[in-house]
Amino acid sequence: MQQHRELSEKQINTQLLNGALATPGWWKFAVIGLALIVLAGFATFGFMVNSGIGLTGKSRPVFWGALITTFVFWVGISHAGIMISAILRLTQAEWRRPVTRAAELLTVFSLITALTFPIIHAGRPWRIIYWIIPYDFSRGIWPNVRSPLVWDPAAIGTYLTGSILFLYVALLPDLGNLRDRTIGWRNTLYSVLSLGWRGNSRQWRLQTTAGILLSALMLPIFVSVHSIVSWDFAVTSGVEGWHSTIFAPYFVIGAVHSGVAAVVTMMALMRWLWKWDNFIRPEHFDALARLLIVVGTTWFAFTMIEILYSLYSLEAQELAFRDMQIFQWPWALLFVIFLITGFFIPVPAWFFKRVRNSIPLMFWTSISVNIGMWLERFLIIVPSLARKQPFVYTWGSYHPSLVEIMMILWSLAFVAMNMLLFARFFPLVPLFEQKESQVFSSKIKIGRASVPAVLREREQE
Amino acid sequence: MVSPAQDVASHSWGMAVDIDRCIGCQACVVACQAENNLPINEEDHFHQARAFEWIRVERYWEGEFPNIKAHFIPILCQHCENAPCEPVCPVYATYHNDQGMNVQVYNRCVGTRYCANGCPYHVRFFNYWEPVWPESLRNQLNPDVTVRSRGVMEKCSFCIQRIRRGRIDARKEGRQVRDGEIQPACVQACPTNTLVFGDLNDPTSRVSKLRNDRRSYRLLNDTLRTEPNVYYLARVDTTEAEAAHG
Amino acid sequence: MASNITAAPDHRPTFREAAAHLVAQGRTAASGARLWILLLLAVTVVGVIGVVGRIAGGFEDRTAWGYYAAVVSFLLSTAAAAPMVSIAPTLARASWVRPVTRVSQLFASVGVVTALLYIPLMFALPPLVEDGVRRRSIWFGSPPLTPHVWGSVAILGLVFIGLALLWASSIPDLRTVAETATGMRRRIARRLAMGFIGTDTQWKALRMRIGVLGAFYFVFLVFTHLVFSADFAVALVAGWKDAIFPMFHAMTSLQSGLASTIIAAFFIRKFGRLERYLELDQFWAMSKLMFATSLLWFYFFFSAFIVFWYGRTASDQAIIDTMVGGPYRWAFIATFMMSFVIPLFTLMWNPVRHSIKGPTIIASIILAGMFLDRIRIYAAAWSARGINDKFIREVPATHWPDIFDVLVIVGAVGAAALAFLLATRLVPAVSLWEIQYMRLLTRPVRFGKGHAVIIAKPD
Ligand code: SF4
Ligand code: SF4
Repeated sequence: MQQHRELSEKQINTQLLNGALATPGWWKFAVIGLALIVLAGFATFGFMVNSGIGLTGKSRPVFWGALITTFVFWVGISHAGIMISAILRLTQAEWRRPVTRAAELLTVFSLITALTFPIIHAGRPWRIIYWIIPYDFSRGIWPNVRSPLVWDPAAIGTYLTGSILFLYVALLPDLGNLRDRTIGWRNTLYSVLSLGWRGNSRQWRLQTTAGILLSALMLPIFVSVHSIVSWDFAVTSGVEGWHSTIFAPYFVIGAVHSGVAAVVTMMALMRWLWKWDNFIRPEHFDALARLLIVVGTTWFAFTMIEILYSLYSLEAQELAFRDMQIFQWPWALLFVIFLITGFFIPVPAWFFKRVRNSIPLMFWTSISVNIGMWLERFLIIVPSLARKQPFVYTWGSYHPSLVEIMMILWSLAFVAMNMLLFARFFPLVPLFEQKESQVFSSKIKIGRASVPAVLREREQE
Repeated sequence: MVSPAQDVASHSWGMAVDIDRCIGCQACVVACQAENNLPINEEDHFHQARAFEWIRVERYWEGEFPNIKAHFIPILCQHCENAPCEPVCPVYATYHNDQGMNVQVYNRCVGTRYCANGCPYHVRFFNYWEPVWPESLRNQLNPDVTVRSRGVMEKCSFCIQRIRRGRIDARKEGRQVRDGEIQPACVQACPTNTLVFGDLNDPTSRVSKLRNDRRSYRLLNDTLRTEPNVYYLARVDTTEAEAAHG
Repeated sequence: MASNITAAPDHRPTFREAAAHLVAQGRTAASGARLWILLLLAVTVVGVIGVVGRIAGGFEDRTAWGYYAAVVSFLLSTAAAAPMVSIAPTLARASWVRPVTRVSQLFASVGVVTALLYIPLMFALPPLVEDGVRRRSIWFGSPPLTPHVWGSVAILGLVFIGLALLWASSIPDLRTVAETATGMRRRIARRLAMGFIGTDTQWKALRMRIGVLGAFYFVFLVFTHLVFSADFAVALVAGWKDAIFPMFHAMTSLQSGLASTIIAAFFIRKFGRLERYLELDQFWAMSKLMFATSLLWFYFFFSAFIVFWYGRTASDQAIIDTMVGGPYRWAFIATFMMSFVIPLFTLMWNPVRHSIKGPTIIASIILAGMFLDRIRIYAAAWSARGINDKFIREVPATHWPDIFDVLVIVGAVGAAALAFLLATRLVPAVSLWEIQYMRLLTRPVRFGKGHAVIIAKPD
């Protein structure tokens, strides 16, 4: 499975730095196009601040809608980085190496984007600072730590800080490399950022230890972030469709599903845009698709158990909510699309090696997963609210308004633009990981066959 | 003279709603609208499910025409002791005060609308737009009540401005608040005495007696354990009662 | 290959040595095995008395069956989950697992005990419709005996697949036993080896069979835990709506499965003098997994707990009172310490993980914690009244075990150990062919001044 293509260090350097040291022709156009959408998004937000949340499609009782859905969506995507980097690092999966950086980057930018959504969605965004930072000491009033909405910024803030550190530690050797290859202001920039990296063995040891420690420390945070987001919903006993004990693991596994799929999407784009065929190879897609089969199936099982147990009590509101979610127009259509795109198209497709090794097919199936995952959150949030308790007499519905759709587009463009900007200055594929994997790859002779193998350091007993 | 501290500790405001008396006239709804500066509900607002009614009269039909009966239940904020809307607010904009009321602080509210998701009684309202009144109505706004800006939640306050006034008056005269002295707008407007307001800490008040009535129950409290301070008195179906007694 | 890698001396036992040692270990007379068998047989008989006594007490009083249900669930959560220790890492192509695959799969033999114990319990479970009233269940409108049927299908299926897996993965070793052992073992082994002589096709078919059976076992294990926890615990407590519970049940069983395997490996290593086969690496890797599952124990528990605790509805409060903070508080606190706190604060230190005794002691604590956990759940659930209410209005008082319960508990553990021991008499306790594979696919080397190992990753 792992075809080893030996590349010299020089080849690795020139090929992987082609994004950071040279500007591909399409880059400028792409960034300008995305920047326009981002600007339009900011303008829309300003417009909404100026006129009020009435511009969204929300009502009573559907107080939360597409904006919160998108918030959950981006928090979900952010689970890519740690899943790929930390977990696979601790389990020593070799194939993680070329994708770690891009996955961590995706984590950072999607978290930043996610953090903006509660602000966009709030009624008075200009006062949101009250929410997070204690103010008004004279009256002794602090933020309400009992509120899951206070846990959220704490968890996401910790995750974001950790992810940035994680990204930075892994970037150090490559920064040193870039410093040695640039002149002028960029050289100054890289010199400062690389913190005097020169690659002696002490520095390598520290860098490795820091990476492993951060991986282990980030794992609980990784799990807690989406759990806490899920508790925004699950602790609300007033909304029957949300008050479910399975939410935390269910959201986390769903987040891993969408996050890893997003990494696949990004890998395909990286391979196409920067022509890194030597580094991002079909076997990497293959391994990710295998991982996705496990994750996707587990997630689907959780979905089914969730539905089973919500029907279990046979309470009127539960039934009304499920009826709306699964059988009523247009939710029924969304539900079918959600099932098909989130599970029934991609997961069975990945069982075929042809699909797993085909980059266009992997690209489209991974996009399909994320369409499904957005819909999943939407289908949890809106119908549950629309049919919450017996006293809800306004059995209205909800559809996202133009403003909300614009904000969703904005978030996509914002993440993409940031990734491209980053790629202009830093390598998206870690050079040192690539070199390390060549050191560790080996072969074993068994009889006449020669089998690819990896080297593992080992403590002596 | 009653010291302010004593005065505060001694109250726990509550309401009794005798469903048997309610005729569905909606006088309470209009009174509340006027007293508390609620924005004007236009037809559009109802279509968008964004209308404001701090108190509403729910109507239930029983039976088939012509043997049909209408039942009415006025529903307002239940001022739950164990309110699901309270712990979820990140900024303490909604909290429980020491007189058994669930209070909304408009100035603190940032508009996450989480409390509204938490409330099972569907009595919280969000200002999706800046409220506007026609020029001619500007002068009828109640000066005792804040006009809420866009982006904040609001709900029945038990007419806290009237409670304040009642207590201040009583304190000025150096006495306790008398039962029935403080009347929220809806209670005052009700022609059939369906709504009774008073101090649940005072065992002699009317509302305390009604609370201990055989017919008394609290909405959804059996399952949700919200411990509302609004007590409902069940309807007595005379035809059924007669049938039962032969 | 990098230049600073040099070959290191290989001290691992050869196939011939391993076969001679392991087959000899399997003799009934070895290491006082006969004495143990007799002893465990006596304990099993005691257990049978307990079961008979329980049945004689009748099926009407559901409360009396609480501890019995806990015992069945305990076996489902330990022995039945143990084979997963070999299945999951094999699917992930981990190399360390090879020497312990057999130990974990031998636990499939305990399935026979579980299935036998399950039969009386089935009669104690009320049908879906009683006095014309249908109770809540995950089966909704199905015929009244649906949970009984599916429960049996699940448990019997699990036992069957488990035994098939054990058999399939022992075929090459049975061949070795047939060639080297004597007497009855030889005859049985030859029968069971099914003419395996190690052709390419046979190996391919064998690996395929093990893979498929392993995947099936996993699916069935989850299904069994789902069905058993839903019908024998959740459905008996009115208003207990807890979607994570089946997953909690299954997840914690993985933790205990690992613990069982570690303990079994410890004893087999000690009494069979298998230090060269079951090495520190195996214990280290398993204790890492045990650490991870201990964290998950807390995560799955807390996911449910916070929703109930924060939700504060009548049924939420009743559930917490019934199983966490109420009459079974003692069991819960003990479980919490033994399944989470103690493993967390010990296994987080590498010196503890990287040893033989450390993981074994922690594993024993975890098993005890698991037992108390099942008691707090099942004893409480089986004594809850008002199955058709919206939620339980009266939290059941603590139900203490009677003499028959104690006999059943002791007997079940004894019978499980007996089944395991008998299975090791036939099949070598460490898989010979897996060890041989490991020998071929890994090479100890020196990497610079340090030690390293090269691990082949064939397709
Ligand atoms: S009725 Fe609703 S708004 Fe009023 S206190 Fe209870 S939960 Fe809060
Ligand atoms: S008590 Fe006051 S605020 Fe509440 S419903 Fe009645 S009139 Fe409106």
